Amino acid sequence: MKTSKNIFIRLSVLVLALAVSSCSDKLDTQEGQLNTGDIDYTDASQMIDPLIGAYYEISSLGWEEPLLLGVRGDDVNSGGLGDQPLYTETDLFNYNKDFWMYNQVWNSHYNDIINMNTAILQIENFMEYANETNFARGEQYIAEIKVIRAWLHFNLARNWEDIFIITSNQPEAELEQGVATKDEVMQFISNEMDEVIPLLPDARPNQRTDLPGGITRYTAYAMKALSEQELQNYQGVADATGAIINSGLFSLYPDFYQLFKKPGELSNESLLEFQYSDYGSESGEAFYHLYAPFGPQNWDPARDNAEAGWGFYEPSNKFIGFMIDRNETVRLETSVLFTPEGIAELQAEGYTIPAFVSNVTPSDDVINNYVRANFASGKHYLPSVQLTDGRNNYGAGKNFIVIRYAEILLMYAEAVTRGASATAIPADEAVNLVRERADMPALSGVTTEQVLDEKFAELAMEWGIRYYDMIRLDKYQELSYDGRTFTAADEYLPYPQAQVDALPLEATNVDTNTALNDVLSTLNR
Amino acid sequence: MKIRLLLTFVALLFCGIGFAQQPKTISGTIVGADGMPLPGAEVKVIGKNIFDITDFDGNFVLEGVVEGDTFRVTFLGFKPQELPVVGANDYQITLEEDAAALDEVVVVGYGTQRKADLTGSIVTIESEEIEKTPTSNVMQSLQGKVAGVQITSVGSPGNSPNVRVRGLGTYTSGTNVLYVVDGALYDNIDFLSTKDIKSINVLKDASSSAIYGVRAANGVIIVETKSGRINQKPQFEYDGYTGVQRAQDVVKMANAEQFTTMVYESGSQADIQFVLNAMQRFGRSRVNPNVPDVNTDWYDEILREGLIQSHSIGVSGGGDNVTYSVGANYFAQEGILDMKNEYERFNIRSKMDVDITDRFKTSVNMVFSNATQFQPDNAAWFNAYFAVPILPVIDPLNTAASPVRYANAQLLGYRNTQNPLPITKFNEDRLKIRKLLATMDFQYEIIEDKLDIKTTYSHNFSALEERYVNLPYTLGNNYEVQSSIKRENNSFSNQYWDNVLTYKDQIGDHRFTAMVGTSFRDEAVNELEVTGERIRGIGLESSWYLDFADPESFNNNVKEIGKRYYGMSYFGRVSYSFMDRYLLYGTFRADGSSKFTLDPWGYFPSVGLGWVISEENFMDNVGVIDFLKLRAAWGKLGNDNVAASAGSNTIDVVSAPFGDNPRTGIVSTSVFSNNTWEVIEELNFGVDLEVLENRLSLTADYYIRDTENAILPVYIPIVDQSIERNSGVIRNQGLEFSGNYFGNIGEDFEFSIGANFTTLKNEATQIEDDRGYIDSGSAEFRQRTIEGGPLFGFYGYERVGVYQNQAQIDADPIAVSNNLVPGDLIYRDQNNDGMITDEDRVVLGSFLPDFTYGGNIAMNYKALDFSMSFYGQAGNKILNRRRGEIIFTNDTNMDADLANNRWHGEGTSNIYPSAAGMRKAWNQRLSDFWVEDGEFFRIQTIQLGYTVEQEDLPWMRVYVTAERPFSFFDYNGFTPEVPDGVDRQTYPVPSIYTVGINVKF
Repeated sequence: MKTSKNIFIRLSVLVLALAVSSCSDKLDTQEGQLNTGDIDYTDASQMIDPLIGAYYEISSLGWEEPLLLGVRGDDVNSGGLGDQPLYTETDLFNYNKDFWMYNQVWNSHYNDIINMNTAILQIENFMEYANETNFARGEQYIAEIKVIRAWLHFNLARNWEDIFIITSNQPEAELEQGVATKDEVMQFISNEMDEVIPLLPDARPNQRTDLPGGITRYTAYAMKALSEQELQNYQGVADATGAIINSGLFSLYPDFYQLFKKPGELSNESLLEFQYSDYGSESGEAFYHLYAPFGPQNWDPARDNAEAGWGFYEPSNKFIGFMIDRNETVRLETSVLFTPEGIAELQAEGYTIPAFVSNVTPSDDVINNYVRANFASGKHYLPSVQLTDGRNNYGAGKNFIVIRYAEILLMYAEAVTRGASATAIPADEAVNLVRERADMPALSGVTTEQVLDEKFAELAMEWGIRYYDMIRLDKYQELSYDGRTFTAADEYLPYPQAQVDALPLEATNVDTNTALNDVLSTLNR
Repeated sequence: MKIRLLLTFVALLFCGIGFAQQPKTISGTIVGADGMPLPGAEVKVIGKNIFDITDFDGNFVLEGVVEGDTFRVTFLGFKPQELPVVGANDYQITLEEDAAALDEVVVVGYGTQRKADLTGSIVTIESEEIEKTPTSNVMQSLQGKVAGVQITSVGSPGNSPNVRVRGLGTYTSGTNVLYVVDGALYDNIDFLSTKDIKSINVLKDASSSAIYGVRAANGVIIVETKSGRINQKPQFEYDGYTGVQRAQDVVKMANAEQFTTMVYESGSQADIQFVLNAMQRFGRSRVNPNVPDVNTDWYDEILREGLIQSHSIGVSGGGDNVTYSVGANYFAQEGILDMKNEYERFNIRSKMDVDITDRFKTSVNMVFSNATQFQPDNAAWFNAYFAVPILPVIDPLNTAASPVRYANAQLLGYRNTQNPLPITKFNEDRLKIRKLLATMDFQYEIIEDKLDIKTTYSHNFSALEERYVNLPYTLGNNYEVQSSIKRENNSFSNQYWDNVLTYKDQIGDHRFTAMVGTSFRDEAVNELEVTGERIRGIGLESSWYLDFADPESFNNNVKEIGKRYYGMSYFGRVSYSFMDRYLLYGTFRADGSSKFTLDPWGYFPSVGLGWVISEENFMDNVGVIDFLKLRAAWGKLGNDNVAASAGSNTIDVVSAPFGDNPRTGIVSTSVFSNNTWEVIEELNFGVDLEVLENRLSLTADYYIRDTENAILPVYIPIVDQSIERNSGVIRNQGLEFSGNYFGNIGEDFEFSIGANFTTLKNEATQIEDDRGYIDSGSAEFRQRTIEGGPLFGFYGYERVGVYQNQAQIDADPIAVSNNLVPGDLIYRDQNNDGMITDEDRVVLGSFLPDFTYGGNIAMNYKALDFSMSFYGQAGNKILNRRRGEIIFTNDTNMDADLANNRWHGEGTSNIYPSAAGMRKAWNQRLSDFWVEDGEFFRIQTIQLGYTVEQEDLPWMRVYVTAERPFSFFDYNGFTPEVPDGVDRQTYPVPSIYTVGINVKF
């Protein structure tokens, strides 16, 4: 008995000692988690990974982003009251700061900006250990990311006017500085593009072999031109667009209809394009943008079981009428999907409907009547026959063109007509290149008004380009259409309520002693 | 007493050497205070393996005792006695009755404690109470029985009810109570059958549960399974019941005529067109030619009656050194949703305690549970609500639909397919749940009856295999679903190793227990999820394997998550009682958890004080009061039932196309969680009173329970992330009361009555977020936690009424500026700025009831027994999210109450808008139009039993049970029991009617 007692006690002591020693060090372990510190930063072959991550982030758009950015123009409407009544109200210039879309678009832009800044830090980690060649490659990657970041700031400033410029991933200090005016933001973009242009490849995006479709020097020139245009510094526009034109690398894709379909992906016209794909396989991995909001709600697709859309983005009667009056052909056919009721309505309004206008698309999809709208956007439409077999989502796998050469040519032309010195071709030639593809007769001695009309016809439905032109030029009467009244107060969206609650947006003297700052500074601990 | 102990001790010391004493035989009789013999009492010589059980006349015989031995007499319900063997060989022993079983011990965590010594708030539920409820889940049977414990039933077979102890003290999703089953820790006890349970102890306050430290924040429920007794004759038991379940209080939907009327009234041309389309397709009703000739009651189409049955067998008993209890249970329950929706569980358990030597004990405990659950697709509930009644189930004209020509509402012009039948017929979700609990412990008495050490190892292993099959089908209008199989294999392997050293002693009037221990935890999870599409041979269940999927479909469809958490704890407890009057209790626990990167260590003390006034001398003359105790306790607990902190920025691997080729990259976070414990600090005051010869007992507790360092998803603007951070204080406070009375009228009629109630105030007292609030829910159906408000409060506009006429509109500038018309809702302008904006939103209520109550009545007359219990709650709100669906697709059907009571002319309604109004953004804001009262009263269980006790037959009881037969509530839904208060597709809780039999021999 005594022996067993002793053994037992000794065992217990041993057991306890083991229990104590075996565990305390395990408290620091986090299984199933990959930390940033776990990456091998000396391996330069991995340096491209954060860049790919950055492209992934920017391509992961919410469905509401292009809708909200684009809907306010006179080229496009919301597609009737439905389950997003406040989206329709936005189209009617009745803004509600509580509407979730404003907050969402604000948030996803800033979230992407933070992600860009984080990716830059990651690349800088690699550059610390890189040799000269790899260091230069790192600089190029960072330059690419800065172009994306510029585009994000550009969208924010075009919609909210005064916004924060954020260049770090711990933004507390930059928030303390308060918002920058729209002009400051545009100047920031222009300056930053000047910095990155020399670091970027001298090529078309589709010429890049490391990352086909990736950003090049000319994408940066385009961003610079866009920001100069917002600043109404038309010489700056002409210089930047002139550099693109003079490179001789870019040309218009000959088939305007297919430019927005799969054959037109990564064409020589493309300067910035978000890429989506299912890699031609019936199932498995796919990376899509959700195009359904753009699509018609009811159709008979040429390919069975291709899904219809939501009808949230309807070309306006004003735009269609404008196109019919101009005798536009391929651009009207490409930009608009017609329902039978839509055609009937146009007839009722007194338009003579050209023969090519039909509810059957050139790719044999039949658009039927549906409740929300009479028309749908043709530029966001992928013919059902171009879908990969077994893939039914509306527009599945279609790329999203952001900046294309036609816009560059027309920006150049406008700048020149406004008195900028032509750094490349004459304004007439730039406009006629665009018109030629659209089977429109050449013009000579183009005026600014003609260029703006050309932009309307060429770039309708694309990213709100029309709307931002109109507010840049204070053409409020153009936006006062179909019963709307547009005033200067309607140019910008109100800050989302959730942001007003959280950010020093309206404070004049920034109080640095806030809980937010505490939170943010503890984050850096 | 002292001398006896000393003697024992001396005897013990020399037991190795031994005295040269002559063994002898003694005998005796054991009687109660009334002189009646007590059969079945245990008489045991302390420290020796000599014992006997008294016979029918209370007689016992002990052989081989020597002078100086001490023997102990124990009998349930009586105070034990110890007597020395001195001189006499014949003993007449009178046992004193244990008044109200005050010596009853309660399991308190790593040990037991006398119930009379408790200073905290602990409630014990015995097996009889649990067994009355026909349910797969033990916790369901506690509903309404324990003040301070809110249990929300679930309707879906095999799912566990939601259990909350003393409100909601954490914002994070981990609100699970900690279950301690025979010493092993669980989040969930769905593997146990109600017949496995001996007792359940609910440790409600922090001082009682602090010994479990970091796991105890949401309350601790200690479950003891059945065990045998030393020298117990084998007792066999069978218990079985079978019955049927029915949906109760089915929501009445608008029929075709009501629906069509609403459509015409709405003035929506599109919707009128859809009705015309339906008439074109399906014909016109002969009764009313303006209504399509279809009138589908969708709830009727998807509901069915479900069977329920349970069979348990068990045997328990014991020999000289070993006790055992083994059992098996089969439980099967069908769901009331008409699809493959059922639950079947088979479990076996065994428990064995072995006295290896006098001082060295071991016990082994094993439970294995094997369950298969076919889970419902709850979208069917939602679709059945909004599917229009003018759509038939089958549409023979829908030739594009295959394999069944189900009707598709899109063909009438509606936005969605609506028909819920394809969801129920072309879907199967099978979950196989296998759980194994194995526990082994060794206990050694270092000093007999005083100091012992116990080491316990337990492992609980669960394997959850889910197979989700989508059968391919088409519904016309390009609606196609492709075949797919999703497999989710999750395994959980949790190991615990506890070592406890306990010292117990009594010196004069001082009685105390001291305990120290360590506990090591290792909890590992592995989750593997694979989805395959385009399955060859999908028509046959035998080919429902991923092997037959298109291999390409696995690309990017494979996910694995692995987690492993460690914990190390040191703890101790002291309980002290002086003259059974003054009680002191204290615990301390130091806990380390790998989930917390900021500081893994937390320290959790608690103290409790008690004063048993009825033991005081001055109370001797107060005859009415049998027992009176005042209690006060304070304690701290931690909560690690939260997501582990990352402690560092982390990397995700992503893939994006470049020129139609996938490229792999990484994205990194820029903010990360870095947290420490949520700390619950609780004060509890209680009083226990027993009067009328212990027939009436009353207990009341008041508590204030603060969660400090509450982990909230703090919003980081610009970064646009919600990061879980220690950043708030949550307070729950309330009063709990329970009373029980038992009595009898004559010999044959006994009865008992019990009642309890709980109040609860739940509030976020502090939020460190720059916005001052934490949002949840969707933007349209916002829930917001603000300082001074409840957690997850519904946040919207207060409805004042409905504009009745144009004059009222004209008189109200708000109505004029918003172009409102009669039939639109009037909202309160909270800030009186003459506008209705975001700032006019207020907290409309919380899903947590502020008052819950329950009670029971039981009666016995001869062989008949009857019992009934009831349960109710008040003060909670439910978001009727089904009705809210109209804001997304406003062409859908609605319930008859809304359709009939809509505003349709002056004076017709002051709560619901008009048919046209329901389609307007103004009325679609979250307001108390959508947020309804959730209060209800329910007859919980009615049971009638008849017991047969005859010589030639085994003991037998037959019974009939009605579970939840009647509920009374105003809420416009199937059931007012909605766990999180958002009723979108809540599975209705059915009524159950069973007959059963219980046999023992």
